Amino acid sequence: MIWEVFRQEKEGEYHTHCGNVHAPDREMAKQFAAIQHGRRKPTNNMWVVPKEEVGEVDGEKYSFGGTTDKSYRWATGYNVTADDASEVVESSDEQEDAERRRSEVA
Amino acid sequence: MPAFDSPASLDDEQAEALEALLLELADDEYVQAERYTEWQVRAPTLESDLALANNAQDELGHARLWYDVLEDLGHEEHELIYEREPDEWRHSTLTERPFDDGDWADVILRHYLYDVAEELRLEALEESSYAKIADRVGKIQNEEAYHREHAENWMERLADDDESSERLQDAVDRLFPHALTLFEAGSADLEETIVEAGFRDASLAELREEWLSIVVPYLDELGLETPVSEIIQYDDYDLEVTDDTLPEVRGRDGTHTEAWEELHAEFTNTYRELERSEATKIMAKPE
Amino acid sequence: MDLDTVKERAGPREFSPADDLPEEYRKAATRMIEFHANSEIMGAYLERPFIREAPSIDRKLAFSAKVQDEIGHGQLLYRAAESLGVKTREEMLDDLANGDGKFLNCFHYPMEKWPETAMIAFFVDGAAMRRQATLRRTSWEPYAHAMDKVCFEEGFHVKHGESILAELMNGSKKEQEMTQEAFETWWPRIIQFFGPTDEQSTHHGFASQVGLKQKSNDELRTAFLNQYIPKAEKYGLEIPDEPRIRENDEGNYEVVEDDLDWDEFFTIAKNEYEPGVGQINGRKEAQEAVEWVRETIEGGPVPSGNQPPQAAD
Repeated sequence: MIWEVFRQEKEGEYHTHCGNVHAPDREMAKQFAAIQHGRRKPTNNMWVVPKEEVGEVDGEKYSFGGTTDKSYRWATGYNVTADDASEVVESSDEQEDAERRRSEVA
Repeated sequence: MPAFDSPASLDDEQAEALEALLLELADDEYVQAERYTEWQVRAPTLESDLALANNAQDELGHARLWYDVLEDLGHEEHELIYEREPDEWRHSTLTERPFDDGDWADVILRHYLYDVAEELRLEALEESSYAKIADRVGKIQNEEAYHREHAENWMERLADDDESSERLQDAVDRLFPHALTLFEAGSADLEETIVEAGFRDASLAELREEWLSIVVPYLDELGLETPVSEIIQYDDYDLEVTDDTLPEVRGRDGTHTEAWEELHAEFTNTYRELERSEATKIMAKPE
Repeated sequence: MDLDTVKERAGPREFSPADDLPEEYRKAATRMIEFHANSEIMGAYLERPFIREAPSIDRKLAFSAKVQDEIGHGQLLYRAAESLGVKTREEMLDDLANGDGKFLNCFHYPMEKWPETAMIAFFVDGAAMRRQATLRRTSWEPYAHAMDKVCFEEGFHVKHGESILAELMNGSKKEQEMTQEAFETWWPRIIQFFGPTDEQSTHHGFASQVGLKQKSNDELRTAFLNQYIPKAEKYGLEIPDEPRIRENDEGNYEVVEDDLDWDEFFTIAKNEYEPGVGQINGRKEAQEAVEWVRETIEGGPVPSGNQPPQAAD
C-alpha cells in the first residue's frame, strides 16, 4: 500500500507534499516516512495519507477559476487606490501575483 | 468561415432573428443565476453554498457575454436589464419559478434539466454563422462541464434516499412542463430564420428530442417518473407537445408566471431608487 | 503543557494540533475564532439581498463573489476552531442558530438600502482587514493559516467597497445625500467595531498573554481612524459631530468613548438587540429548512478508494 507524505519544515508553516512510502499499515507508514523523508531535511511535523484516499482534480479536465472573465473577483480589477491602507495593498499585491501565475499556467 | 462577422451583413429579418436568439440565451442565463443566488447563505452546508454560488456567477458571466453581443444590435445593458418591461423578457419559465423554503431538490433538478439543455444548445451554436456567437461558445462550454457533473452528483445522492427522492419527484412534477418551454419558440417565423441563417444549426424540435432522449431515461433510472413518460416511445423521443403538456405561460413569447414580476421588481429596485441611467461596468468589454 | 509554558512560548504560529494545550487556551481560542467565523456568516447573511439589488451585472457578480468568499472564510475559520477539539463545526453553527453564538456588533443592524452596502464593504471590511492582518501572527497555527487565505481574498472586498463608495459620492445629489445619511447611521457602530477600550474588555488580557491576539483594541482603532477618516473626507463624507474625535499630541485620532452608546453595544453582545435577533432567527429558519438535506448526506461520503479507512489514532 502506498502512502503520500506531507512534511512541515518549521512550526507555523504549511505541510507540503514531499514524496511517498510503501507500507502495510499506518503505523509503519509513519515510521518509514520519518526516516525516508525526515532524516535530512528540517522537519517539525509530518502527515501520512493513504494514496487511494487522495482525490485528484486535474487542470486538463477542470478549468480552475473558470474560463470567462472573473476579474470582478480580483482587487486588481478595481481602479481605486487603497494606497494608504498597507494591509489592503499587501492583499492586492498577493492577488496580482496569483493572477499573474494563473495566466502563466493557462 | 462564419457567414456574418458583423451586424451590417444582416438583413432586417436576420437581425430580428439574431436578437430573438440572443435574448433567449441571455435571459435564460440571467434569470437562472438570479434564482441560484437565493441559495447563497441558505444552502445545506458551507461547501455546497460555495459551489452553487459559483454556478450563479458562471451563468451570470455567460449572460453578460450574450448581452454584450446584443450591444452590436444597438442595445445597452441598462436598457436590457433595468429598463425592459417584465413582459419583454424571453427566458423560459423554468428559470423564473420561485423556491419553497429549503427545497434543495427543486434547485438541483432545475440545475440538471437546465444544464443538459444548455449543453445541447451550446453544441448547436459551436458553428454559428454569427462569428461572435461561435467565438464565445468555447469559453462557456468549459464551465458548463462542471455544472452537469455537479447536478448529476446531487441528483443521484438525493434519489438514493426515500424522503429526498419524494421531494425530487414533486419537483419533477412541477418543473418538467416548465422545462419544456426551453424548446418553445417566441415566434415560429423567427425560429425558422435562426436555423436558416445558421445562427443555430439545430432546430428547437431537434434539441428537444435530444434533450428528452437524455433526461427521460436518466430520471427513469433514478426511479423518477416524468409527466410525459407515458406518451414517449423510448426509441423515439419525438414528443408531440400539446397544450396539456406545456404550462399556460411559455416565457419565450413574453408571458410569464406571477413570480416573475416580483423577481423583476426586486432586481431593478436599487436602479430605480437611485434613479440611475447607466449600469456600472467593472470589467473590460469582452473581446 | 501548562499555562505558564503557554504564556512563555506564546509567539506567532507557535501552537498546533500536535501540542497538548491546556483547556483555558483551547477554550479562549475557540471562543475567539468561533466569533470570527460567525461574523463571516452573519455578514454574508446581511449582504446577500444586495446580490439581487445590485444595479449592474458587474456589481452583481462582485457581490455574489464577495458573499461566496465570506462563506468560504467561515469554512476556513470553523475548521481552525474545530481543530482545537472543543466544539465541532455543527455545534458552532447550531449555537449560532439558537442565539448562543456571538458575532460582530455591526451585523446585528439591518441593512436596507444600497448606499449602506458601502458602509459595510468599505469601512467595516476595512476595519476587519486591519485586525485580520495582525492575526496572521496569532499563536494558533491553523488560525494563522486561515488568515493567510482570508487576507489574500479580502483586498478585493475592500476595493469593491471603495469602488461602490466612490461611485455613489460622484453620483447624483440624491445618491450623495443617501450615502451621507448611511454614513451617519453607521459611523458610531463602525467605531464600536473594535470594542470598548482595553481596560473594559473582558477577554483581552488573557488572549494577549497567550498570543492569540496580537494588537489591542485601542491600537487597532487608532490605526483604523488614522487611515479611514482621511479616506472618508476624500470622498466628500462629513464626519458626524458625535462621537467627538480629537487629534492627540502624537497626531493620532482619539474617540470620546462616552459619546458612544455602550448600553446598545452590550445588549448586542448578549444577542438581545432586536434587529439582530431577527437576523439570527432568519438564518436559523434557513438552516432548519435544509436540515433534511444534511440528513440525506450524513450517511457519509463513502471514500472511493479500495482500502478501508484506518481507525484513527
